[in-house]
Amino acid sequence: MAENKNSTDKIPNWKRDFPVDQEEATHVSRREFAKFLGLLSGALALGNGAIVVKSMAFPHKALEGEHFVCNVADLAPGEMHQFEIEGSKSIPYILIHLPEGGWRAFEQKCTHLACAVRYRADIDRIECPCHRGYFDARTGVVIEGPPPRPLPQLEAVDKNGKIYVRAMSEPLNV
Amino acid sequence: MSDFRYSQNEAHPNKTNTLMTGIIVLLICLVTIQIWLLYSALNNALEENFGIALATFFGSLVLALVSFWLLRYLPEPRIIKSRK
Repeated sequence: MAENKNSTDKIPNWKRDFPVDQEEATHVSRREFAKFLGLLSGALALGNGAIVVKSMAFPHKALEGEHFVCNVADLAPGEMHQFEIEGSKSIPYILIHLPEGGWRAFEQKCTHLACAVRYRADIDRIECPCHRGYFDARTGVVIEGPPPRPLPQLEAVDKNGKIYVRAMSEPLNV
Repeated sequence: MSDFRYSQNEAHPNKTNTLMTGIIVLLICLVTIQIWLLYSALNNALEENFGIALATFFGSLVLALVSFWLLRYLPEPRIIKSRK
């Protein structure tokens, strides 16, 4: 009897008030696990729906008008110039003066994980230094590495020695 | 009246066990497909490809409904009658 009294004394009051067995509380039955999978399935469908709602609520807008970037004389062939266009959100772009004389403008965010890409004149490719992704400097298509899509491109036009960019009049043919 | 629930409750534990495992395996397969669909939707939505986002949403919704329907066939827990 005395032993019994001692053992009840050792149990703190809070534990006596809430006599929950730990093994019972942490046990997950197969039934509960299956219900959790059902819940997860519903959550994934909702997540997919959220993407649709977001796409409908904030549709992609093509760049409007022409934007001045720099003078032709400012950029030697084989060089790259970084610029931003202010809009609903400011998007960084790169302007490339190709070695043979053409001009190209691409979004600077890599299509893999949005690292800043750069033009490398020595290999004549656009490089993403984060995961060694390479894009074609003329079309923006992926040459190698993890990027899943080509770089979004703007049309660069030379007007009286000034370079302007505007939305591509024709979709990229890749 | 005898229905599937009654028969299931009366079934041998081995049968219930197989049924439970089968349902869980099916649910895991459905959830895996849904993760793949969600990944595709995200990837294409970033490129403003609305058609893929919509198609994957309907696919994912159908799979979710199938998952909920499967839960109906979960065997009920065995009731252990306490001795009085």
